[in-house]
Amino acid sequence: MLSKLKTNAAIKVTSRVKYSYCLRLSVIRTVMLAIIITACYAGSTKAEEEKNHSNSQELQLHGFISQGIIDVNGSDFVNDDGDLSAELTEIGLNASYQLSDQFRLAGQVVYLDGGNRYEKGFRVDYALLDWSAYNSESWQANVYLGRFKNNHWLYSSSRVVPFARPSIILPQSVYFDGFRDIAVGSDGAAIKISHSHDELGNFDFSLSYGKSPISDEQTDILLGDIAMGVAKQDYETHGSFYWQPYFSPWRFGFSFLDSDFTYKRNEAFDFFTDADFSFQFYTINALYEGEYWEFSGEIYQQRFVTDGFYGPDFYKDSTGQGYYGQIRYKLTSDLTVLARYEDFYLDKDDKDGKLLEQNTGGVVPYYFGFHKDITLGLNYDITSNFSARIEYHWVNGAGRLTPVVVPNTLINDSEDWQMWAVQLMYWF
Amino acid sequence: MTSQVSAIEVITHPQVTESNLTKSQLRRIYTMRQLRWSDNSAISVFVLPSQHNLHQRFAKEQLQIFPYQLNRIWHKLTYSGLGVAPTIVRSQEELIQAVIKTPGAIGYIDDESLRKIKKNKSIKVSEMEEGQQVSGKGVVNVVKIKD
Repeated sequence: MLSKLKTNAAIKVTSRVKYSYCLRLSVIRTVMLAIIITACYAGSTKAEEEKNHSNSQELQLHGFISQGIIDVNGSDFVNDDGDLSAELTEIGLNASYQLSDQFRLAGQVVYLDGGNRYEKGFRVDYALLDWSAYNSESWQANVYLGRFKNNHWLYSSSRVVPFARPSIILPQSVYFDGFRDIAVGSDGAAIKISHSHDELGNFDFSLSYGKSPISDEQTDILLGDIAMGVAKQDYETHGSFYWQPYFSPWRFGFSFLDSDFTYKRNEAFDFFTDADFSFQFYTINALYEGEYWEFSGEIYQQRFVTDGFYGPDFYKDSTGQGYYGQIRYKLTSDLTVLARYEDFYLDKDDKDGKLLEQNTGGVVPYYFGFHKDITLGLNYDITSNFSARIEYHWVNGAGRLTPVVVPNTLINDSEDWQMWAVQLMYWF
Repeated sequence: MTSQVSAIEVITHPQVTESNLTKSQLRRIYTMRQLRWSDNSAISVFVLPSQHNLHQRFAKEQLQIFPYQLNRIWHKLTYSGLGVAPTIVRSQEELIQAVIKTPGAIGYIDDESLRKIKKNKSIKVSEMEEGQQVSGKGVVNVVKIKD
């Protein structure tokens, strides 16, 4: 049920809307409405019971709503026509309910509209049972069952939450929107162990195992709409370790990911053949949080193995690499500027993409082999839970545009492209 | 920085037996890395809004952490389902009421507000001595913070 909600619930207004789709959509809408009404009702009764603070200790309700405008020139990152777009909507509502001393239920529903970036519509972002297995003054061990978020990268758990991430558009090499729904979390089990030591500092270890459902829309985003078959993720193992020295402004971490996918061709008609894909991803990261200066960066390597797909005997093993470095400076307590540089190439043996162009007989231009982005941004905290943000990106390369496998070279006909975006965010 | 300059007091629900906390304990509690008191009862953490002057001072002076860092930690817990963040209340008056009402509660107020509620006969304040057993309704404990 959950997997259907995650991938199939998206509201896609096309000319090909089918009856079953409409039915499913109305069910989803009804469920959403019921959740919101229940949440509001529960919130108001709780508020009456405890006039002084709106959330009780057992039931906590939170949410966010944000809307922006975005303008992209020179690529299909958001839309195909290049016009100014309001496809920058993010809405979320979550609840946490403490069942007993050791068990807690938590869930979040989000509505996203990002144009071509990802599937438009509602999703169950997470829905989990949290078992607080061990708890002492300096140790915590939790087991999460159900749909959990990816907590392994610097901004992976907060990428969906506009005010909790550093910029409107995150570094696409790590936080690739085209891969969002697969990378954002999984259905399965996760553990988190935290240790706080009075001399050595804080340690956090997380390990998760599960898989993400892949919708038809997601298949189109990744493979292009000429892929008629079905893609699925077999499994994903993901782990991370973080260390913050005692009372230090620095924190360091690393993560690893191993995942397999399969593609089953459409027997009736398909341009592609059956395929196995294997994806591995390793990151190391650092975060510095000073009074005025903040620094963060991630360095990463990925390995992508394709066995089949273009033909029964096709085999490709490529290693991509990249990094980004980001600086934020607090001009005042409410006003923060951001500067970031990102550099990523899909194949370390073909950094300038010349081989890519050669091997595809010129069909895929060289600039699809890399992605570089210079970002400048400004964030203004209007109140404690209302912020405004503006940013500009100068991008070089088309390596992080969708669709990935069969690129749109007609729209993405230039190596350099730019975008700017403005966003208002409210949360409670 | 001495306690004479810092006029922020940490208060707890009367049934909380801890009479003093170290700075690292207090920091663990507010960064949600310690969720239980020594008697294994759950800690309920209360804070003022992030732009509130007293919150900003409490974070910097008592926790030695910047308010935006606390926000990052709390937002991650709240919006990724990992855990529960502190409860935000709008004013010091609400915070005092919340701490009085909620077993296991911890919060902070400035000493001017503490003086005011000491005058208010409906609320009793106990400055606990070590080993002292305190319980009763309508009382807040003032906890000593040690290095």
